[in-house]
Amino acid sequence: MKKLNEIPGKNPFKVPENYFEDVTRKIISETSGSESGISQRGTIRKMKPLFAIAASIAAFILISYTAFKIFIPGNTTHVVTGLSEQEFFETYLNDIDLLTLEEQAGTLTPVIDINDVNTSEITDYLLFININENEIYEFL
Amino acid sequence: MSNFNSDDDLIGLLKTDAKKGFSRIVEKYSSRLYWHIRRLVILHEDADDALQNTFLNAWKNLDSFRNESSVYTWLYAIATNESLSLINKRKKNSGIPLDDIGKYLACTTEGNIWFDGDEAEVKLQNAILSLPEKQRIVFNLKYYDKMKYEEMSKVLRTSEGALKASYHHAVKKIEKLLGEV
Repeated sequence: MKKLNEIPGKNPFKVPENYFEDVTRKIISETSGSESGISQRGTIRKMKPLFAIAASIAAFILISYTAFKIFIPGNTTHVVTGLSEQEFFETYLNDIDLLTLEEQAGTLTPVIDINDVNTSEITDYLLFININENEIYEFL
Repeated sequence: MSNFNSDDDLIGLLKTDAKKGFSRIVEKYSSRLYWHIRRLVILHEDADDALQNTFLNAWKNLDSFRNESSVYTWLYAIATNESLSLINKRKKNSGIPLDDIGKYLACTTEGNIWFDGDEAEVKLQNAILSLPEKQRIVFNLKYYDKMKYEEMSKVLRTSEGALKASYHHAVKKIEKLLGEV
């Protein structure tokens, strides 16, 4: 068996003259005219944190707005400080005229037409509340 | 160019100026990669194609390199894959088996123009070509490129133990074949 180290490990292959200079120039020329994978994907990679920040801000605004709409009622109560009860009522009454107050009171109390109530209904009511007849005569 | 000799310098330059950094890599590694490819594909025109494809693929996939430990092993891995693809393509298209360098060169247009081996070297090349593909790559990387097993395991994604065993078997086979001739 012949030992491998007895054979000189010389390179038996040849290349054309100036091959390495030419091929190096050719490869550099080809690659410099196109974009590498790093520059295309690198841009997206660089933009990722900015996208994340923008998305976080948008999400925060949306959640805050929704929470505000849900939990804060539409009719807000304004607290007036530094006024006594007397001063408050005076201020309130001065701002509203009596006609408006009568209109508001009218909507709150049901209006009963006395003509719609007959005598027997009145008698029944009086008996129901167990009123003393002598008291009635006293009023008369 | 002398300012960017180490792989660390080249990686640093790649980050700041990809085109300039890559040009430096091509200048530094084109010759070494060519000989690695040439020993696998044998023909100069095939080696020329595979070398250019290696660098073009490396350029297109430059971001995949970022996690690699060394430019050298990353490029060797791409070059090895390119060479194997080209060998398989040749087998399908020409039908000429790559087991006898003399016959293989004789069947091509360029013939023996770019082969300058004496009788002993032709015998050695034929013995190397008789090896299984993976063993042939391991033998070439160790015998000609003097690559360490640690680096080789990164290039071929194989354990160092398996590579040592593979090289040992390859040497035994070659010595046996050389003794028979």
